[in-house]
Amino acid sequence: MVNEMKSIAVVGGGAGGLIFANTMAKEMSDDIRSGRLKIRIFDGSVHHEFQPGYLSVAFKGKNPATMRKYLSELVLPDVELIPENCSRVDIDNKYVVTEKTGKKFGFDEVIIATGSRPDYSQIPGLSQANHDFHTSASASAELFKRLEKIRWGRIVTGIAGLPYKCPPSPNESAFLLEEYFVRKKLRKDVKITFITPFLRSYSNETVNSVIEPMLKERNIEIITGFNLESVDPEKELLTSMEGESVPYDTLLLVPPHSGAPIFKGVEYADEDGWIKTDKYDLHVADYENAFAIGDATDLPISKAGVEAHLEAVVVAKNMISQMQGTGERYEFTGRLQCSMETGYHQATFVIGTYDRPIERIQPSLYNYFQKKLMERIYWASLKGGYEWLFKWHFGEDYYRKSGKEKPPMQTPKVQNV
Amino acid sequence: MTKTVVDSRGTACPGPITDLIRAYRKSANGDIIELLATDPGVRADSKAWCERTNNELISLEEKNGVFTVEIRISGKKG
Repeated sequence: MVNEMKSIAVVGGGAGGLIFANTMAKEMSDDIRSGRLKIRIFDGSVHHEFQPGYLSVAFKGKNPATMRKYLSELVLPDVELIPENCSRVDIDNKYVVTEKTGKKFGFDEVIIATGSRPDYSQIPGLSQANHDFHTSASASAELFKRLEKIRWGRIVTGIAGLPYKCPPSPNESAFLLEEYFVRKKLRKDVKITFITPFLRSYSNETVNSVIEPMLKERNIEIITGFNLESVDPEKELLTSMEGESVPYDTLLLVPPHSGAPIFKGVEYADEDGWIKTDKYDLHVADYENAFAIGDATDLPISKAGVEAHLEAVVVAKNMISQMQGTGERYEFTGRLQCSMETGYHQATFVIGTYDRPIERIQPSLYNYFQKKLMERIYWASLKGGYEWLFKWHFGEDYYRKSGKEKPPMQTPKVQNV
Repeated sequence: MTKTVVDSRGTACPGPITDLIRAYRKSANGDIIELLATDPGVRADSKAWCERTNNELISLEEKNGVFTVEIRISGKKG
């Protein structure tokens, strides 16, 4: 039970923000309903989209409407949704300011879950030339319409710059393109080229040893060490920083990503806007009352929904433990679990932790079904559903107990107005 | 000429090479990037990366489990 009025601000309503807020709401509902605890989630988006589903929209023609729901439908009633983004998060003075109306909301604890977004400004010409299968369901649907018109030519897919979210996604695009044109009986007339700034088709050697032979077997051209500098949309030409050129007819690159612009220049973020985050308990810089989860962090792991999920659970469990005075502390294990569809109803996974190297996993139909299962349970998982399944699946990697005890919380100073 | 120290200690593959590539994008010919890493894979990866991108590997040392890779940026066109 919370002894004094406490307010928690969750900045960002993506997977991490929603799972944190809804988990807190489920576990602390008595305190929320009695007015001792307030949880606000700030996000100006109308919809929340199931981002792994973009591939199915772009390369299989799935209806984009099935990949989105109203954000307001995904927030439990005990959580207050403020339908605005924040323009400022002042951790020292414990308040956020909303973007449109300029309202100020105080907090005792803040969770930064602002995700990542494509940053086309890094590569001149890319935004005009690119068909983005990676950023929205509607853009993915537009790409599928374009694919249906292609009869011949060279499609270049891959990685335009670092970092980016969902590391397997560029490889998946190559596999799914190949399958698409084989099924259309146009494969011999469509050249597929995969470019990457890494030295391998997949950045990690273990995963690469599984997928690179498959890409080669399917006659997908691989150009590694390609640091894209610019795109000439008129000449349909890519140029690398080293002066190499690659022509294209259709361009499908994953753009480099950056953190939320509001964090550029703040002392608790790096120069690119990624939040300085403790890799275990996820506190921000030297702050005890601020946490960051998901893509927004500077953690050296994949930017993907599963990390946001597991991090949200760790932060929620620690906060609940502290409020309930159990003294238990939990740590994020760094668990990765990114699925990679390799075409023809097969998939592999990228699985590892901070302490355990990435495993070698052969593609299989079983893995593919696991990936598809996630599509089925995703919306419920955002509300804290299927926790038993995730606990069972991730086992000791779901979270681990820590020896460290958090110091007592300072007296809350609620400044909301 | 600027020198940038990229600290990738504690990160596993592809952490060091990811950090190197990100720093490379912001660099100019003549700049030095000093990459610190604990993942032994950085030894082969940094050599191969320099060869592929025409940048100069100045030195690669290991001391107490920390690899220090010094690279002079020389591969950018223009």
